[in-house]
Amino acid sequence: MPAVRTVEATMLGKLDWSAIPLDQPIPLIAGAVVLVAILGVLTWVVVKGHLSYLWNEWITSVDHKRIGVMYVLLASVMLLRGGSDAIMMRIQQAVAYQSQGYLPPEHYNQIFSAHGTIMIFFVAMPFVIGLMNLIVPLQLGVRDVAFPTLNSVGFWLTASGALLVNISLVVGEFARTGWLAFPPLSELSYSPGVGVDYYAWSLQISGIGTLVAGINLVTTVLKLRTKGMNYLRMPMFCWTTLASNLLIVAAFPILTATLAMLLLDRYLGFHFFTNEAGGNVMMFMNLIWAWGHPEVYILVLPAFGIFSEVVSTFSGKALFGYRSMVLATMAICVISFMVWLHHFFTMGAGPNVNAIFGIASMIIAVPTGVKIYNWLFTMYGGRIRFATPMLWAVGFMVTFIIGGLTGVLLAVPPADFILHNSMFLVAHFHNVIIGGVLFGAFAGFEYWFPKAFGFRLNERWGRAAFWFTFLGFFITFMPLYIVGMLGMTRRMQHYDVAAWRPWMIVAAVGVAVLTIGVICQIVQLVVSIRNREALRDRTGDPWDGRSLEWATSSPPPVFNFAFNPDVRGEDAYWHMKARAKQQSPERDGPEYQDIEMPRNSPTGFVCAFFATIMGFALIWHIWWMVIVGGLGAWATFVVFAWRDHDEYVIPAEEVAVIDRVNLEQRRGLISMAEVG
Amino acid sequence: MSDQTHGMGRNDLAPGEEEQHSVGARILGYVVGLVLALMLTATSFFIAGTDLVWQPSIPVALIVLAIAQMGVHLVFFLHITTGPDNTNNVLALAFGLLVVFLVIGGTIWIMANLNANMPPMGHILRMQ
Repeated sequence: MPAVRTVEATMLGKLDWSAIPLDQPIPLIAGAVVLVAILGVLTWVVVKGHLSYLWNEWITSVDHKRIGVMYVLLASVMLLRGGSDAIMMRIQQAVAYQSQGYLPPEHYNQIFSAHGTIMIFFVAMPFVIGLMNLIVPLQLGVRDVAFPTLNSVGFWLTASGALLVNISLVVGEFARTGWLAFPPLSELSYSPGVGVDYYAWSLQISGIGTLVAGINLVTTVLKLRTKGMNYLRMPMFCWTTLASNLLIVAAFPILTATLAMLLLDRYLGFHFFTNEAGGNVMMFMNLIWAWGHPEVYILVLPAFGIFSEVVSTFSGKALFGYRSMVLATMAICVISFMVWLHHFFTMGAGPNVNAIFGIASMIIAVPTGVKIYNWLFTMYGGRIRFATPMLWAVGFMVTFIIGGLTGVLLAVPPADFILHNSMFLVAHFHNVIIGGVLFGAFAGFEYWFPKAFGFRLNERWGRAAFWFTFLGFFITFMPLYIVGMLGMTRRMQHYDVAAWRPWMIVAAVGVAVLTIGVICQIVQLVVSIRNREALRDRTGDPWDGRSLEWATSSPPPVFNFAFNPDVRGEDAYWHMKARAKQQSPERDGPEYQDIEMPRNSPTGFVCAFFATIMGFALIWHIWWMVIVGGLGAWATFVVFAWRDHDEYVIPAEEVAVIDRVNLEQRRGLISMAEVG
Repeated sequence: MSDQTHGMGRNDLAPGEEEQHSVGARILGYVVGLVLALMLTATSFFIAGTDLVWQPSIPVALIVLAIAQMGVHLVFFLHITTGPDNTNNVLALAFGLLVVFLVIGGTIWIMANLNANMPPMGHILRMQ
């Protein structure tokens, strides 16, 4: 018998049938439903013969627009997963007054950990990175990002991390430590299960993907801009992309190093963060927040960029104070590295340290305030159209100001000593992340959807989604501020204080309203896809836009622009339109040239496939499989590095055929504007 | 992609994008860099083991030599210059240095403060 055990341990590591939570119906049923859905979709794809289309046009695509769309799709699917966790937590806290509720503590702890991890790493990050991928090259007037294949690798590694987190639902367990896995709780002595390993390895893998995406986008903005696109002529979204990705490049290595040290503690008996043998628990807090605070600006800066574009477009005016906006963005980029201690004021630093970091945290509200005023002044005197993206932008301003003010309150160390880790804090960061990042992501989604797919989204359902989400947000999170003031701490599985109960019930009602908002969003998508012929946008410029992404057709051809646009000022496309209206139509037969584009490559998908295998094997200590996965990922890169030709040519005639259609439509648009 | 970078003019080089020097001049640059790097390395090893200099100055000397080593690598191998064609690279370097300074400096300050304010249990007991 011992021989059998050894063979099993060699082949399967710690993995056996006890890993499947057969006694817990909720994750099992959820897992089964998801599995059936995935199998159903796969069967449909295979039976309908879409498999080669899916493989050639999407999975192996290195086109930044396709990769951007896949990022957003991943984020949307993960939003449903993270949202389900949120619903379960709100119901638990609504019913668990003087009782255990319906979720046992070990399950509840996994849910709040998974909720935070998924929402930050697999919803917010892919959503903003997807929008940046989709739009930034178009706004810069170029044909692709700097490293197209690397871009695909980055996406698939992110997807790989998301997959591992979801596998933990049915095979094994997820971390019970909260979304940042603080030691000593996350050390082997207190968390002997595989939960923390799932957490750490999925973040290591997706973290590499994020770093790759960051390097790619920084290089794209710095090195690939069309003729005349100076730094100070770039649209605001490109600036915030630059700032956000500089932060990714600077901050994500800290996360990787910190988690690597935690993993060394867990796997090889090191003592970086243990209680004994000279480990220092507080070093983990310090390092993880040195990444964690820049991280929130990585998320919110692109959202600020989206709002800048949306507000300026729908007010029909150039952005107010463009240069002050650039300065504010870069100021936030630098100051975001000077405030991380405010996440652990209560950890025991002296008054001088707390005071300095408190003041720095208040100072960072100044450039943010500059931005708010700039948006308000952009709207002032403008001819405002309240289309759905603009609704999200205005909703953001109202919501984010409240979140920002409670943030300044928390930046006061004495106040933080009372509110630290209370529900007030929970309300605050949801206030800024939902009100800032999520509203921004939705605004960008509604605004750029016609660009990505060539038809608009249904306005009616879009408005409904906005109002339900907006009201649902306030009904859910304002009560959390109040219970925080009443002394309720975060992450409580049950409680005995009668005064909290009514507010928890209100919050649960709020989450139901939020859910209706999400359903409206899904219905909007379905309705719009079914009515796509009626909603078709042939001009490529449905919103009367101002920046270069609107200068090409919707969806843009694979090469984006037949000619590199010539930029002569800010709001490049707006001025092109103005010139076109004054002058006679452009030269009739432009001379088209051959265009070289990068070839599709399965490198990203194959590499992420092996990375997933390796991650899973590391979690379960299946060492032979770790080697297989590692060698596979490495070999994939060797094969890619030895490729012979990575570009193909689109002949000039084909470019001409594609572009003439676009030019026709655009002339029609401009002459219509003249009549109007 | 190459046609797009041309639009940027020649004012903006990435690391590895060489200016049009002759092969001889480039090889000379690498050789000078290699010799300097080797000299700095050798000096570090020598200083670490010697008793010719005042002992407490050795760590400082090693730090200075290490920084000089980084400078040699940046100038001779990564071709960072102060010219206008290198603004991006210099700015990126400056941002990197700033972040490293903030994170490491901040960490040392914070952790020293914590150690002073929250000594281990045994230490507190001894103080009482």
